[in-house]
Amino acid sequence: MTEREKLLKQLSALQFASWELHLYMDTHPYDKDAMEMNRRYARRSEDLKALFESKYGPLSSVSGTGEQWLKNPWPWDIKECV
Amino acid sequence: MFQYEKKLQYPVNIKNPNPKYAQIIISQYGGPDGELGASLRYLSQRFSMPYPELKGLLTDIGTEELGHLEMIGAIVYQLTRNLSIEQIKKSGFDTYFVDHTTGVYPLAASGTPFTATYLQSKGDVITDLHENLAAEQKARTTYDNILRLVDDPDVREPIKFLREREIVHYQRFGEGLRLATDRMNEKNFYAFNPSFDTHCNKKGNMNRNQNK
Repeated sequence: MTEREKLLKQLSALQFASWELHLYMDTHPYDKDAMEMNRRYARRSEDLKALFESKYGPLSSVSGTGEQWLKNPWPWDIKECV
Repeated sequence: MFQYEKKLQYPVNIKNPNPKYAQIIISQYGGPDGELGASLRYLSQRFSMPYPELKGLLTDIGTEELGHLEMIGAIVYQLTRNLSIEQIKKSGFDTYFVDHTTGVYPLAASGTPFTATYLQSKGDVITDLHENLAAEQKARTTYDNILRLVDDPDVREPIKFLREREIVHYQRFGEGLRLATDRMNEKNFYAFNPSFDTHCNKKGNMNRNQNK
């Protein structure tokens, strides 16, 4: 696994934890523990996303545009082809 | 509105192409219980959902399904790269290839193109939530069947992730149904459809307090 893939996997894990708690909160909107946990994961994933983007380019249109945005790989690309 | 994030929800890195697998898995792209139907179902139904928890739930799960659609597209794309004509003929992928080459097109494994008849948006909260509970289980069964047909761990891992999500969504929809019925007439859930019978700014509203 490349350094980029490792970082992306870590970011996906943090985003997933935050997302799962977000969905849970849709049907448990007053669960304070879940809200706190969601906040923690959301903050950590924002930090890691910023680090990833500083190294490998933008993940969303607000964090980069033009050449940086267009740069391969796109999410479905295969390593050997890009 | 929607904004794109340039990454998959769960990584897809398939080393060995396999057109037979692609032809099976594409059913979760545009088949009867696939991710396109799921996202359209929830993102359409949400407009007539009466309670904030349900508007949130349908928006969030519908959005996640779009991410799953992208993952299935990536799996199909990676399974069909660098194919020889021999491989295409031998695997049975030739019937897809003739119409779409290796482009990703929404259809079922049987070849039936995607149709909106795969989903319903009934404008009735109980009906729509039951449709969604059934849809999640049907998708889970389809993923179970894919796991029975596919050996490659590179393909199985993201499929296992998607299967697990169906179970979590089923759980959340069940909670959503309970939240809805808790606010309805417990002697007769069908006395009013809170998606329709509650009119804002309308006189003679028998159901005015149902939405509180």
